[in-house]
Amino acid sequence: MEKMKLIAGILVFGSLWGFSECIIGSALHDAGLPAGAIMTGLFAVVLMMMSRMLYKQRGMQIGMGIVAGTLRLFSPFGGNVGYFICSAIAIMAEGMIFELIWYNMSLDLNELKPLKISSSMGIVTAYCCYVGGYIVTQILTPVLSSAGFHIVNLIVFIPQMLATGLLAALIGGVVVPVILLLKKLDITVKDRLYYPTTIGVSILCWFIVIANTILISST
Amino acid sequence: MGKRKLIPIFALIVLLVGSLSSIYVYATTINSEYINVNDRDYTIDQLLFIGEERTIETYTGIALDDLIVKIGVSNPEKHEYTIIAADAYQKTVKWENMKNGLLTKNRESIFSDLPKSFRVRDIVKIEVI
Repeated sequence: MEKMKLIAGILVFGSLWGFSECIIGSALHDAGLPAGAIMTGLFAVVLMMMSRMLYKQRGMQIGMGIVAGTLRLFSPFGGNVGYFICSAIAIMAEGMIFELIWYNMSLDLNELKPLKISSSMGIVTAYCCYVGGYIVTQILTPVLSSAGFHIVNLIVFIPQMLATGLLAALIGGVVVPVILLLKKLDITVKDRLYYPTTIGVSILCWFIVIANTILISST
Repeated sequence: MGKRKLIPIFALIVLLVGSLSSIYVYATTINSEYINVNDRDYTIDQLLFIGEERTIETYTGIALDDLIVKIGVSNPEKHEYTIIAADAYQKTVKWENMKNGLLTKNRESIFSDLPKSFRVRDIVKIEVI
């Protein structure tokens, strides 16, 4: 695969992920719903699975996590740049954990064909991404802040992190088999439309997030 | 053992860990109308009466540094403060952070100089260490 095509793919899928975290994630959070588990189990897993299916490239999801995490830093819903560093770190970690889990899976995803396997893989992926991302951010955010890291703060909260991951796991168990059904559909973009589409969608995602940031901070 | 056998086993372990943790969290969550500050229990209304008001962006509450001084902690700058929620979530902050922090009427901590993860909700204890 052309390098430029892959970079454009990382950019568009990462931007869509970041956009959903900023806009939908914040709305879910404001509505009092478990935003983190829903965002990981649904949006993050769907976008990473789709990119895996369409591009069949290892390492792509790490790049997507970096793009999405960077966009999260410019989140529109309150705070200064840096306020959402915790979410940004979690998103980047999720991309890396996904890559680790899926590293030894075949790129054509044929070994996931039985429903039991695809659903199990969804459960494991969503749970590990959510809990792993949560733990990583609980370590790195204090390290990067003026308060400093205290290991006791992490240890006492581990049961809660393991518990809240259950919802993400259940969502992942449903979502992955559904996404694999899309394999039968022929989703291709004509070559001449590929770059305008991917770049256009990416710019739109960043524009909406940054415009929201400016609008909200000025009101 | 092949992947086809291992993946469902891992999934079962994940579901088991998640379920048992949920039971543990449910059983250990503290339900209290009091906030324990430096080993003394206060209602949120008492704390609102003690501390001076502070506003950070759209949030209003009690200035955490003023509260610590008024409840009689000596040499407050030499201590650290652990803010603990009902679900065991906790964050330890320095005195410099307390000077930029507040406790809202909804028992939530807000710091202007710290990331969002330092927003502790449903606070039940502020420990002076």
